[in-house]
Amino acid sequence: MPLIRRNWTPAEADEWTREDWYAIVMSPLAYLLLTVGTALSMMLLPAGYLILAAGALVTILMHWVIDPKLKVVSSEYEKRQHDYLEELERSARWKEDNNG
Amino acid sequence: MTVFGFLDWLWVVLYLLIMVGAGVLFYRLGRRGQSDFFLAGRGLPWWLPAASVYATHTATDTPMWFAGVVYRYGLAGIWYSFFAAWCAISAFVSTRIFRRSLAYTQAEWNTIRFSGLGAELLRGWMSGWQVFMSMFILGWVGIAMGKVCQYLFDWPVWVGLVVFSSMCAAYVMASGYWGVIMADFLQGVIAFAVILIVSVWGMLAAGGPSGIIDKLAAMGQSSRLNPFSFSGWFTGDFPIAWFLTMMVIALLGGFGMGTSIDWYVEAQRIQSARTVRDASYSIWWGTALVLMRNAVWAPAILGFYVLYPNIQDTKEYEMAWFRIGFDYLPVGMVGFFFAGIIAIHISTISAVLNLGAMYFTRDLYLHYWKRTATETELVWVGRLATLVLLIGSFFYGLMMEEITSWLIFALWIMAAGVWLPNILQVVWWRFNAWGYLSSWIANLGLSWLLVWVLPSFGVIPELPDYQQFWVLMILGALIYVPITFLTRPDDLDHLVRYYVMSRPIGWWGPIRREAQRRGLLARANA
Repeated sequence: MPLIRRNWTPAEADEWTREDWYAIVMSPLAYLLLTVGTALSMMLLPAGYLILAAGALVTILMHWVIDPKLKVVSSEYEKRQHDYLEELERSARWKEDNNG
Repeated sequence: MTVFGFLDWLWVVLYLLIMVGAGVLFYRLGRRGQSDFFLAGRGLPWWLPAASVYATHTATDTPMWFAGVVYRYGLAGIWYSFFAAWCAISAFVSTRIFRRSLAYTQAEWNTIRFSGLGAELLRGWMSGWQVFMSMFILGWVGIAMGKVCQYLFDWPVWVGLVVFSSMCAAYVMASGYWGVIMADFLQGVIAFAVILIVSVWGMLAAGGPSGIIDKLAAMGQSSRLNPFSFSGWFTGDFPIAWFLTMMVIALLGGFGMGTSIDWYVEAQRIQSARTVRDASYSIWWGTALVLMRNAVWAPAILGFYVLYPNIQDTKEYEMAWFRIGFDYLPVGMVGFFFAGIIAIHISTISAVLNLGAMYFTRDLYLHYWKRTATETELVWVGRLATLVLLIGSFFYGLMMEEITSWLIFALWIMAAGVWLPNILQVVWWRFNAWGYLSSWIANLGLSWLLVWVLPSFGVIPELPDYQQFWVLMILGALIYVPITFLTRPDDLDHLVRYYVMSRPIGWWGPIRREAQRRGLLARANA
């Protein structure tokens, strides 16, 4: 099994997997590097350029890891969205729900 | 007082015409129904709500409080704004879960996640609270604009508050969220350009990056260039313990919903995105822009510090970024800067007006008052609610004296006692409406006691804000955890339905097994 999976079935994509956890770890790291890197780059400090470049790299990697999964989750969910929206409207207007 | 030339006024008038034009242009779309008036029909590509996230969280008060902390602490002051990083984890966890619920508002989500009387009480409480908070935020942001106009034109504070918020309300009432989101995109672009130009200009006025570094060294203040310069582990007014607490609040808060006061605004953007993927990226990229914007501001404030190093009055150094623009930009560009400030201001006001109106219309009027209301009627209620919020905000705005103290109070108090319950409601099936409701009520009482009342009477010492957070979290848990276990779990059918639809993360084992036993997961994934 590959370390990072990029092909998903809808059922598999709906589960929380290690790819989600990779994104959960990389995302704050990317924010931190982009923030500090931008501030120091504005001061024209070489360390700032390096940190900013690292932030961009982590951001690209994060998207590369999570995007295939998000695409599958999205397309599968959109098929069911219409039914859920009807149910939501019934609930907001206190109408009897026959699906439960 | 600043004198505007013809070109300056031209920038301002052009900008205002474009904004009002957005209202006219999208009037037809906004009036189609509540889905359009409040969520732009749920069909936006990720970059539109992302621009709105960025524009909304660039308010008139933002450069004030941000300048305040960077002037005080140097680049380390950036971390005060890192609360926005709750979106780092939220974009891939709670955003995904919330988008799948399709709830218009967090209050509506409460009745999807919880069941029975507790859930309805919670929805009523949450929506009422959000209407109040919208008014509060509108007042707090509006008065900042009043101060800017007072500084610029010597107008009384109420003039800047009333004039620009009212103009903004005109296009929000006309086109609803369609107008908000389209204007936000434009405002976001203008705001970022203005922030970049003014900040670079300010740095050059202070001698450029190398000049600022040299002057800081000569003043013995080089530590201000270090983003990780703290006053000790637990000592001083900016300790590492504070930094770590902030990181915990911001980052782990992304597993929950409502762990930041910004969540309620973002929730609307999440639901307006056309897919789950668009929702995730809109939140992630909108916040990335917010954080990088702060990083652009910070060096300019350092430039202001080397120009004016000995300002003691908070109100004075909070105006640092505005002073850079108005004191150093050439004639003709000052109007561009002011148009940018109006963009910054209006993007926040419009978003909060529409948000508060949505809570009132969807959660109070439709759900509790008139459940047979037509779509046209709901749009008109939304418009009326926008007007009421606007007028209410004028009263709140005129009651606020100092931006920083209100902001810091709000950040901590809104976060502290309900921070963990906001996560538990997402990740733990057994946490019920009564536990959550009790945590809110307990937090309101406990926070006032701990932060204001008991220290005022000398019963306890005044605790540093990061310690207040931990104490409030523990005290709150002593109330809501027992209440959760002493009351019944939510209805199993309700929980199973929620689980299948939203697929939450965390401790949902019993509900997942029940859904599998009923064959719902297999059917859902077929």
